Amino acid sequence: MNEDEAYEYVKNTLKKELITPYHADELEIVKSVSCCINCGLCINHCPVVAAIGLDRFNGPRSIAVELSRSPPEYWSTADKIYLCTGCGTCREVCPKNVDIPEIVNLIRARIFEHRPDLVPKGFMLVKEIIAEHNLAFEPWVDREEKAESRDMRLERLGLPHIPDVVKKNAEVLFYPGCQAEERTQEVREAAKVILDLFAVDFTVLDEFSCCSLPSHLMGDEDSARNLAKQLKKKVKKLGVKKVVTTCAGCTSNLADLAERDNWGTPTYHLLEFLAEEIGFDRIKQALKEQTPSQSVHVSVHDPCHLIRHTSRRIMDYAMDILSLMPGVKVTESITHDSCCGGGGMVSYHSRDVADAVVKENLISLEETGAERLVTPCPLCTAQIESNLFKSGSSIEVDDLTVFLAQRFSKE
Amino acid sequence: MTDSEFDVVVIGGGSTGTAVARDCAIRGLKTLLLERDDIASATVGTCAGMISSGLKYSDEPDIMAMCSKEVMHFNHIARHIIMKNPILAPLLDLSDAASDSSYVDSYSAHAEEREVPSMLFLTPEASREIEPMLNPDIIASVYYEEFFIDPFRLCMLQTLDAIKHGATVRTYCEVIGFDISNNNDIQGVVFYNRVTGTTEKINTKLVINATGPWAHKVAKLSGENLDIRLNKGAHVILDRRVVNVGITVKAIDGRWIYLFPHENTTLLGTTALDTWEDPDSLVASFDEIEYLLQSIQTVLPSIREARIIRTMAGIRPLVPEWKRPEGKVTRGYRIIDHSENGGVKGLISFTGGKLVMCRHMAEAATDLVCKKLGNTAACMTHKQALPGNDADVDVSALSKEYGIALHALERMRARRGTEMLKVLELTKEYPEWKTTICTCEPVIEAEIRYAIREEFPQTLNDLRRRLRLGTGPCQGTFCTFKAAAILSDELDLGGDDFLVDILDFRAERWKGIRQSMRGEQLAQEELTLGMYTCVANLDQSDVDYDIKPWEEGS
Repeated sequence: MNEDEAYEYVKNTLKKELITPYHADELEIVKSVSCCINCGLCINHCPVVAAIGLDRFNGPRSIAVELSRSPPEYWSTADKIYLCTGCGTCREVCPKNVDIPEIVNLIRARIFEHRPDLVPKGFMLVKEIIAEHNLAFEPWVDREEKAESRDMRLERLGLPHIPDVVKKNAEVLFYPGCQAEERTQEVREAAKVILDLFAVDFTVLDEFSCCSLPSHLMGDEDSARNLAKQLKKKVKKLGVKKVVTTCAGCTSNLADLAERDNWGTPTYHLLEFLAEEIGFDRIKQALKEQTPSQSVHVSVHDPCHLIRHTSRRIMDYAMDILSLMPGVKVTESITHDSCCGGGGMVSYHSRDVADAVVKENLISLEETGAERLVTPCPLCTAQIESNLFKSGSSIEVDDLTVFLAQRFSKE
Repeated sequence: MTDSEFDVVVIGGGSTGTAVARDCAIRGLKTLLLERDDIASATVGTCAGMISSGLKYSDEPDIMAMCSKEVMHFNHIARHIIMKNPILAPLLDLSDAASDSSYVDSYSAHAEEREVPSMLFLTPEASREIEPMLNPDIIASVYYEEFFIDPFRLCMLQTLDAIKHGATVRTYCEVIGFDISNNNDIQGVVFYNRVTGTTEKINTKLVINATGPWAHKVAKLSGENLDIRLNKGAHVILDRRVVNVGITVKAIDGRWIYLFPHENTTLLGTTALDTWEDPDSLVASFDEIEYLLQSIQTVLPSIREARIIRTMAGIRPLVPEWKRPEGKVTRGYRIIDHSENGGVKGLISFTGGKLVMCRHMAEAATDLVCKKLGNTAACMTHKQALPGNDADVDVSALSKEYGIALHALERMRARRGTEMLKVLELTKEYPEWKTTICTCEPVIEAEIRYAIREEFPQTLNDLRRRLRLGTGPCQGTFCTFKAAAILSDELDLGGDDFLVDILDFRAERWKGIRQSMRGEQLAQEELTLGMYTCVANLDQSDVDYDIKPWEEGS
């Protein structure tokens, strides 16, 4: 056997033994998780454990000290590992900062490769959509219908339509994320309204493609790395200096990818961009020019992908911006930073678990007396909105970007 | 024959002793196994579990051939407790490759019969894809495959199989003398029962001394001198499988050492020091730990960042070949029939040997026993499977049927094979026994109850050997009390016994932890200390407990 044949042989043996070698950029995750001292602090904070109990989901502590120790046995975690919503609460409360959410993705990647039969069936549908369209949601077949849907949404919200511009060397690439690109188009349009209002030199992608987070969360690491590579190429080709997104998941994922793959292009959530790049003075000024909207009583939900996977400062910005808005009263819910259950692709196979997790949020939301919930994440918006609706609540839900755009936009 | 009359008494419940007891029992001999501590509590309990192809012994071709055959036998009789381990031997310079080329040929000579490839050469790039922690300066690596067995379960399964075939097994029974007739013939064995504190005596025709590093001391009880070369070996144990494959490398003194993923840990070993220490209180030294780390970090520069959980040390009972380094001493074994040189009749001792050849050693010794006793039964130990090996187990289906986590069942399967059904059966009557007791490994209450009832443990340490209880990163921080409560319930232990057993178990963990305590394990020990002193007040306990030699102060 020559060296190439030998390598193929070895790879084949490793596959038979269910071993996927740790990638060099995964070693930090493995090192982190080995720091667990089994104290169990995380168990009392895990929203999934709180919602469904330890018998069904044995919690982050077990993932660290038990489930993640032997790669050849990763397949046998399949009854537990898909129930993690990836909220990152465990990592936040951990005295050793053990990176549970990422070891979960690493394990899911091994199951995806070696035991596809154990991967939740719901994932395979998403995988197919991504493979065909480079999008996490089935795109509109008819472009005109898509535009009609967009215009109807804009009309309902009273927002103007800012036409898409694709150009090289803009300051900012506005990246809406799959959900705003294909489903909640009002979020995408609202962001453009805000960027336009502040005269930001921005572009959109010529051909939108997924940031790779859904593939990463499912464990489809090949697709995830492909999509990441594809997007990096597009960003580099456009020559933009910054990426701005309205999706919490895209924010954290693109920030991670930019660091891992040396993009050299920072990613901002729109809220971050407003606070750090536009500045509160200009925001105040812009608000002065508006006719005051009707007063409204809101509560705010903090997306996990912003507060725990990126930075808690982003939601501080959100509160600061809201506090500048005339007529907006904010009441904090005691579960404002608790996972809505919409993460980790859990709802794709265990809807009951995702909905059990959001229950607590709904109860304390009612207690605030707010008429409206705002959150800067299309995924949280959808999860909370559908559960509020099912529970018969009168509370409405807005994506925070849309809410801001409505209050910024010129009548 | 009554309960005190035996054909053969086997002394020592290690890999060899349990294999001999099994072989004798299968061949129909009335067999008694005496062990002064617990099954697999000494040398075999501190080994890496590699059933080696013997590639290090290329100048002993017969032994290499025998090792290969034995590996295949184990794959036949105990496949449920065996895992394949792919291994890389990275080369840092050409002299590495040139100096030891003989092992490549001799390994490859028997590769086919073990159903593994000949040694393969990989490029540095391919090597680093397989193991990204490897030093970027390597020039190539050699790839080969070995098999690993769970040494604790092997000994336990051999013991259970011996019992199934009629053998009597007595643990915590220490041989203190022999009854020798006027014509220098062994007629009986006297032993001290450490549980009841009484002395007992039985009659036997023959005695097999399979006591490893104590072989010369046991022989001396009959007045016989036995030459043996005792050699200490230590391992450093890392949390989880930190490497993708096993890594072997030449140590700083030119010996081969290894870093092997094993169960859900990684083992770094081993040292080799001629020793005169007491096997009971042996610990790894600072120099041994440093020797291993210094040696492995030549190819894995970041290895010191990995979390070291503990160390373990044991003693190899080598064949007494002197004035040559440990590595040049034969890896074969000797069976010494003491009567041959005019010594006591009826005593047969072992020196040498390795884990992989324990069945072979047993066969040879049992052949001798049978010849002496006129028994013509053929050896069956390589044909008859050990308990649990008979069929594949559909763990996924069992998980659904019994409502127990898949991973917990997969770990149980790796210990018990088809026998795990007996454990699961208990949960039908007692669903609460599905509770996880040891969170790291993991171990559920039903398996602890089953092991106590069927596998005769006396202490928490015995449970650890049977179940891997308390062997994870927290080293029993959270399972000791829970497991002790179950043990006390099953064995009807009083409050003091309960506390002494907890202290004993903590002391035994501390024996391994203390030597290598550093880095991340310090945080764990801080937590453990808080639990057992501040919460449980064990440091204030007035229970009658003797401080172990490796514990300091009081």
